[in-house]
Amino acid sequence: MNLFRSEEHVEQWLAGQPAGATIPVATLAELAHQWYADRLASNWRPHTREQNQAILDGLGLTGPFWQLA
Amino acid sequence: MDDADLRLRNVTYELFVQLGRAPSAEEASLAAGMDVSEGWRRLHEQHALVLDDAGAIRMANPFSAVPTAHRVDARGWWWFANCAWDAFGICAALDSDGRIETSCADCGEPIALDVRDGRLDDETLLFHCLVPAAHWWDDIVFT
Repeated sequence: MNLFRSEEHVEQWLAGQPAGATIPVATLAELAHQWYADRLASNWRPHTREQNQAILDGLGLTGPFWQLA
Repeated sequence: MDDADLRLRNVTYELFVQLGRAPSAEEASLAAGMDVSEGWRRLHEQHALVLDDAGAIRMANPFSAVPTAHRVDARGWWWFANCAWDAFGICAALDSDGRIETSCADCGEPIALDVRDGRLDDETLLFHCLVPAAHWWDDIVFT
């Protein structure tokens, strides 16, 4: 799970292996906020799979690649 | 997760933030008033912590207990993140602005990003996730 300067850099890094998913860094920042903002809250409870899937879905991260186990 | 494990998990995270690093089992046991080894193992199995082979904390996501290529300056401290996602997660968890320092995984060119009120000073970068979501926890360190 890394950052890249451009799509060309992603492709070079993959070196022919199958790609995963590439998203804009702003989407990643929002994903991280929704995923982790409650992590240090005193009333923290583990996210359910459904909660986490809803976070992904809400950001348009849909399709087989983004389906949680 | 039962209430006892939830309390242990919260004590562990609080210590991590207070110390600026992962607490040892001895430090956490002192704070929790009990031996934490078995509780940490249960939290590891529930993906609430990640332990290394010796039973020490490897990850308390988004925080990394070991140096990584993803550093975050937030709340007056430098933290290590497990990945680029977790670098942003540290700012979110600490409810803090921050500076993320990493590098392009392809060319190695340094990347520095400032996060202010949740906004980034460079939105041209891309994030690549290699492992499908269904397999993230198959090998979370690799993921």
